[in-house]
Amino acid sequence: MQRDRTSKFAQNIGIFLFLAPALILIGIYIIWPIIMSFNLSMFEWDGVSPQKIYIGLKNWKDLLHDSIFWHALGNNIKFIFLSIIIEMPIAILIAVLLDRGGKKFDVFKSLFYLPMLMSSVAIGVLFKYIYDPSFGLLSGILSFLHLDFLNQDWLGDPNVAFYSVVAVICWQYIPFYMIFFIAALSNIPHELYEAAKIDGATQGQYFWKIELPLLSPSIKTACILSLIGSLKYFDLIYVMTEGGPSNATELMATYMYKNAFASFKMGYGSTIASAMFIIITTAGVLAYFATKKNEG
Amino acid sequence: MLSLVLVFSPSEKAFSSAGGTKKIVFWHITTDENGKKMIQGQVDRFVKAHPDFKVEVVPLQNDSFKTKLKIAMGSNQAPDVFVTWGGGPFFEYVRAGKVKDITAYMNENNYKNRFVEAAFGPITYNNKIWAVPVEGAGVALVWYNKEIFKKYNLKVPTTYDEFLNIVKTLKSKGITPITLANKTKWPGCFWYWNFVNKLGGPSAFERAAERMGGSFADQPFIKAGEMLQELVKIGAFPKGFNGLDWDTGQSRMLLYSGKAAMELMGTWQIPIVKAENKKFYENNLDFFPFPSIKGGKGDPTSLVGMASSNYYAVTTTCKYPKEAFNMIQYLIDDQAVKERIAYGQIPPVKGLKFSDPMLQKVYNIVAKAKSIQLWWDQYLPPQLAETHKDIVQSLFGLKLTPKAAAEKMEKAAKDYFKK
Repeated sequence: MQRDRTSKFAQNIGIFLFLAPALILIGIYIIWPIIMSFNLSMFEWDGVSPQKIYIGLKNWKDLLHDSIFWHALGNNIKFIFLSIIIEMPIAILIAVLLDRGGKKFDVFKSLFYLPMLMSSVAIGVLFKYIYDPSFGLLSGILSFLHLDFLNQDWLGDPNVAFYSVVAVICWQYIPFYMIFFIAALSNIPHELYEAAKIDGATQGQYFWKIELPLLSPSIKTACILSLIGSLKYFDLIYVMTEGGPSNATELMATYMYKNAFASFKMGYGSTIASAMFIIITTAGVLAYFATKKNEG
Repeated sequence: MLSLVLVFSPSEKAFSSAGGTKKIVFWHITTDENGKKMIQGQVDRFVKAHPDFKVEVVPLQNDSFKTKLKIAMGSNQAPDVFVTWGGGPFFEYVRAGKVKDITAYMNENNYKNRFVEAAFGPITYNNKIWAVPVEGAGVALVWYNKEIFKKYNLKVPTTYDEFLNIVKTLKSKGITPITLANKTKWPGCFWYWNFVNKLGGPSAFERAAERMGGSFADQPFIKAGEMLQELVKIGAFPKGFNGLDWDTGQSRMLLYSGKAAMELMGTWQIPIVKAENKKFYENNLDFFPFPSIKGGKGDPTSLVGMASSNYYAVTTTCKYPKEAFNMIQYLIDDQAVKERIAYGQIPPVKGLKFSDPMLQKVYNIVAKAKSIQLWWDQYLPPQLAETHKDIVQSLFGLKLTPKAAAEKMEKAAKDYFKK
């Protein structure tokens, strides 16, 4: 009995020792900055001068009345919705097709994954040229097809710009979910297919009765990933539109960035960052429990 | 977020000159090939004369530079020498004690006298000088395609009514009258600032910005918005201008291809066009000053911009300020002035002659100007400048009425200055 306990104790020490480096790094680079952000949100600070002025909760009060912030949050929510309903079905479809193709489709797996490998900034610059209303590839294709009436002011029209950018982001992220679902599909046991085959199932039945139900845990995880990713999204929007024109494509992260680094309002920027932290954590936890409950 | 910072970090760090152990880190924003080579050459001359020094030259893109500098200053990793436009954002750094006071250096051997007087406005704060004027005059002028004007028999306008007629003629010929890339917002602001400058004179803006009896909701500001929106409504600007990016040349492409005829832009257009499209520079490019407006209070010679477009400042964290200052001098010594003129700049130095008639013409216009109104986004405190740029972009997008825009700006100014 005694011996058992010491070994348990030693084991715990061992676990702790092995975890310690990671815990220390997480503490320094993740937890501490979060605490610092919350702390900074109580100050008026331009980001460069040595003195910060304590203003209590004023930044938070301002945030509650900041229509651009709420507009940005609205955009984030629209963005979650769009990315889930666009990315997931397409990714599932491609994954299923590639999975059925087997080995001979391996080359497509690599090809389709390419957008994910490009840097966001490169994609942004590339699509800025593609969307150019005078010289762009897109307007060229449309006029070649005699569809000029479909041509839009892709990034300059506040009503269109948001969707133009979301389309590019989906293009970039679909491959990620595709690989995710391909991995999940490869885990489905072969016996199931064989059994279905013996029962004389059609291709459609394969999909609806076997693949989709067995993919559902992965789909839920993918949706949570997409949800969190969409809430903190930044790169392509910043490169392509900087949140404009007239805040049409503003997301919480771009608005935070502009406040902190362009307007010299580091304190207010930190308030937005902290608000994002609260919103994203809450949304993530809620989504996690919602999907969990369904499983039970 | 992190990836963005990484991408914006200079990939050309390796550009540093060989040399001794004392190091100066130098950031600038001249990223075209000719300009980069020119500055590197001038730095190399400094290193040759000071073999114990090593200079790390880092060329950065205009808009990412602003962010990078901000982060570097805030985290105490500032470069030793950096480029600045002076004005509001620069004075934030001065007030924060990040910039070295170089008045004494400037007064040594009367070095200051080398430069045109007007160049010191945007870098003088508390009667002290905080940076050296180096790069050429930067004023907003209307650049146009000579060939197109010739083809349609158009004459360079002196009044806004004549200008408006040109716009309408070009429009009827299927040519975009004015190219504009307004994603970064300041190119569009050039129109608004010039309108206000011609309508209300330079004092209209200064009185509003200094809160000395002026208001951003005054008549010239509303009228400027109306005139701007009139241009938008008659289709003077290219499709999608609010999404086009000036930094990547999306407005100039329209100019080069002959699809658009004019652009309101700073004089840095000269070296850029020269580097990007030499043939166009030699055969097609010309300019005229912003036309005067009937009934406006602005002097016909008045300009928007600055006598020197880029200044160089030394940071307080620099270990060798004296030598850093000396290095800046190499960027604007007699040899450098020659190189800069050849490059296409009008250095802010007294008594110059130019063999390029285009440069001579700009020099004369700048020398003749009764006033040069500093870019508002450099004059205003950064927070207000950002709000202002957003407002003007919304004006261009017809998302705000001129009156609402003027009132919004006035409210922002009131909130900021608390008066």
